[in-house]
Amino acid sequence: MKGGLGAIAIDAVPEAAPPGDPAAFIASDPAAFTAGDPAAFTAGDPAAFTARLGSGPRSRYGVPALAVAGVAFGAVVLWLADSGRTPDTTSTLFSGIVGGLYLLTGSVTHLRRPGRLGLRMVTVGIAWFAEDLWVSIDPVPHTVGMLVRCVASACLVHVLLAFPDGRLRARTERVVTGAVYVFVLVVVPLGVPFYESMTPNLLLVADLADLQDMLIDGVQVVFAMIVGGLLVRRWFVATPPARRVLAPVYGVGLVGSVASLLHPALPDSSALLVNEVAHLATLGLPVAFLAGALRVRLGRTAVADLLLQLPRISPADLPDLLARALGDPALRIAYPRPDEAGSTTGYMDAAGQLVTPRPDDAITPVRRGPRVVAVLLHDPALRADPHVLHAVTAVAALELDNQRLAAEVRAQLAEARASRVRIVAAADEQRRRIERDLHDGAQQQLVTAALVLRLARDRLGPAQPDPEIDALLRRAADGLAGAVAELRELARGIHPAVLTEAGLLPALRALAARSAYPVQVVDGPALPPLADGVAATAYFVAAEAVTNAAKHACANQVQVHVRASGNRLLVTVADDGVGGADMGAGTGLLGLRDRVAALDGKLVVRSFPGAGTSVHAELPLEGP
Amino acid sequence: MTTVTTAPDPAATVTRVVLADDASLFRSALAELLERDGCAIVAQAGNADELLDAVERHRPDLAVVDIRMPPTHRLEGLRAAVLLRRRHPGTGVLLLSQHLEVAHLDELVGQTASGVGYLLKDRVTGPDFLDAVRRVAADGCAFDPEVVRMLAGGRLGGGTGRRDELAELSSRERQVLALMAQGRSNNGIADELHLTTRTVETHVRSVFQRLALADEAEHNRRVLAVLAYLRSARRAMISASAAADSADLGRNPAADDCSIASP
Repeated sequence: MKGGLGAIAIDAVPEAAPPGDPAAFIASDPAAFTAGDPAAFTAGDPAAFTARLGSGPRSRYGVPALAVAGVAFGAVVLWLADSGRTPDTTSTLFSGIVGGLYLLTGSVTHLRRPGRLGLRMVTVGIAWFAEDLWVSIDPVPHTVGMLVRCVASACLVHVLLAFPDGRLRARTERVVTGAVYVFVLVVVPLGVPFYESMTPNLLLVADLADLQDMLIDGVQVVFAMIVGGLLVRRWFVATPPARRVLAPVYGVGLVGSVASLLHPALPDSSALLVNEVAHLATLGLPVAFLAGALRVRLGRTAVADLLLQLPRISPADLPDLLARALGDPALRIAYPRPDEAGSTTGYMDAAGQLVTPRPDDAITPVRRGPRVVAVLLHDPALRADPHVLHAVTAVAALELDNQRLAAEVRAQLAEARASRVRIVAAADEQRRRIERDLHDGAQQQLVTAALVLRLARDRLGPAQPDPEIDALLRRAADGLAGAVAELRELARGIHPAVLTEAGLLPALRALAARSAYPVQVVDGPALPPLADGVAATAYFVAAEAVTNAAKHACANQVQVHVRASGNRLLVTVADDGVGGADMGAGTGLLGLRDRVAALDGKLVVRSFPGAGTSVHAELPLEGP
Repeated sequence: MTTVTTAPDPAATVTRVVLADDASLFRSALAELLERDGCAIVAQAGNADELLDAVERHRPDLAVVDIRMPPTHRLEGLRAAVLLRRRHPGTGVLLLSQHLEVAHLDELVGQTASGVGYLLKDRVTGPDFLDAVRRVAADGCAFDPEVVRMLAGGRLGGGTGRRDELAELSSRERQVLALMAQGRSNNGIADELHLTTRTVETHVRSVFQRLALADEAEHNRRVLAVLAYLRSARRAMISASAAADSADLGRNPAADDCSIASP
């Protein structure tokens, strides 16, 4: 049966690991992340992470102690089995080295990387020795060994699928592992009473040994193929940091499996050599597990680099630096985004933009004191070494906190600007609606009433029998006419319809035409289409400036210049008046300056006593 | 569609009118006003499509069109009016609006100021409205005094350095020309300016002379003068950099006298 174990081990290793359920790697649900539930982060907390890894043997030394017990058990087994060794079985030395290596590397792995992997490796070693009981020619140990003669295969499958962090991630992996355990711990023992071997089987009822050998070999081939498929799939979906960890195990496994596949097909002389290679690979596998587990720690030197470079870099380089330190080029940094009440409402990048995690992002919070100052969005494989993550986040926490504050300010600024834009747009829309309501409602009804009144007056006839009635009707008509004219001016002041109907230039020309003194509109080449808010702002700036020129500046001549330059709309209103205007002095330009700023434009007033006033507005053509 | 209720003189041609306005109360009141004045309202339309159909079918003398109509309530009436003027030169178009814009005037009038009018909607209650209706129906023109005032304001402001066709005119002659643009007859102008008809005639002749229209047929000159006026005023408002308006000053045989009431 040792051969069977070897077959699974060696066949299975080269093909590689499943991608696993990425969600299992992500400590916090991305949805919760977006929703900004801070509670979601407790699971991603490095401390919590470590605690969860340590949920197997609580004590740091539990696993080495188990390994020591395993060594003792192994020595007993080797002693019991030694007499039964034949050229068909593994030698005592080889068996002892393989089992011992699993115990040793498992202990080292556990000491260097607290987690379940070390325990699983030690379990493989103990199971390996347990299987060897079967080789003994003493009926009692032999019969016990018969019961557990495939158990190491199951433990090995478990380690392979749970490598490198010792946890099974995907449902498929858990199902396959469970099935293998059921097979070796239930099905195989049930067959023991029907298996006659050379050493007396104490449980023997009948002999169906050949049938069982075929059955067990067949099942092992099937399991080997399934596990191999899962491992291959894992390799192909693995990210570079994850492959770096998997590489030693996969390399050794590949060599071993090729060797054991070639072995039966080769002539005796070469077969011997190839068999040695297969044996060496079996020996190398626990070492490869250890190497892979230790490889995830290589990032630690990068932490030292990070510490040295951090004071010297510019804030913009921080993500790059962290990406290099952790070996994940796709690493992103996000900062908590506080709402008005100060609670977190999601996460943003350094520019204040909302960050949405990708589905396969793992999320690690960076804390300073009790507060989460930032989160790292990174490859889940980095979780394999929480110490490096922890160290990097600890080193970078201060700088990240600074960046968080800066990002927070930028986000607040962006929000304030966005809300200003919304307020302006809403005000414009309201003005347009009021203008239209006046136009289609009150104005229309008054005009109709006036017309009906005229019809009534006409009915009285030319004779005008009652001059008093005629006078009353005339007064009513005049009143209506006055109301219509006033409403028209009111509507125009609220939002000139021509601005919506025909655009900025016709509206400015209409403004000039209605002005009581000379206003000239000078435009450049045809204007590109303007956003509503931009056209309205440009119009209101010009209208205000033209009004001011008449009211305060005693101007004889006003020029309104409009042109597009690059992606900016330039509007200048220049008069030849007395000058000395002050933007703050109730000219209405102050409100317009806010309006212009809301569109990301600027408003400049130049006014010197005796030199006239010029109001210059620059607006982005497309709006904010 | 209603037929004539009063026809004072059966020999006189009845003015056939199509009304287009989505406000039905206003439209029916306006229909009553025009019918009492002897017009025949051959059709009423609530939107631009109905208007175009009605004109196609009835070939009226006049379409009175509200500038804002469904579906967007912006410039449907203007667009329909421009289309009508191109397709049916025989149908006068009188555009009504709650507010007047030079930009819309440009679009409406185009190259010929005959059979066209642009008035504030509330003018329908005024004394001159029925005159304006008759003038436009008879291929004359009627522009709101406010349009003329806007144009004058803009022109005065438009010191663009370009030679102004109207620069030669005295201020009195400009006043006369502005009233001509409204569609007033010489008598009407005389009343407005408190001058004698004879004096007005002198000014009108002088305007024709200075605009080099003296050799034109009498009935063309008035329209041409108005067009010159509108063009000049319009151009002054359009920027210095805009391309020169190359429109022919209108040796347009279709152009008729702008004021049928003219003696």
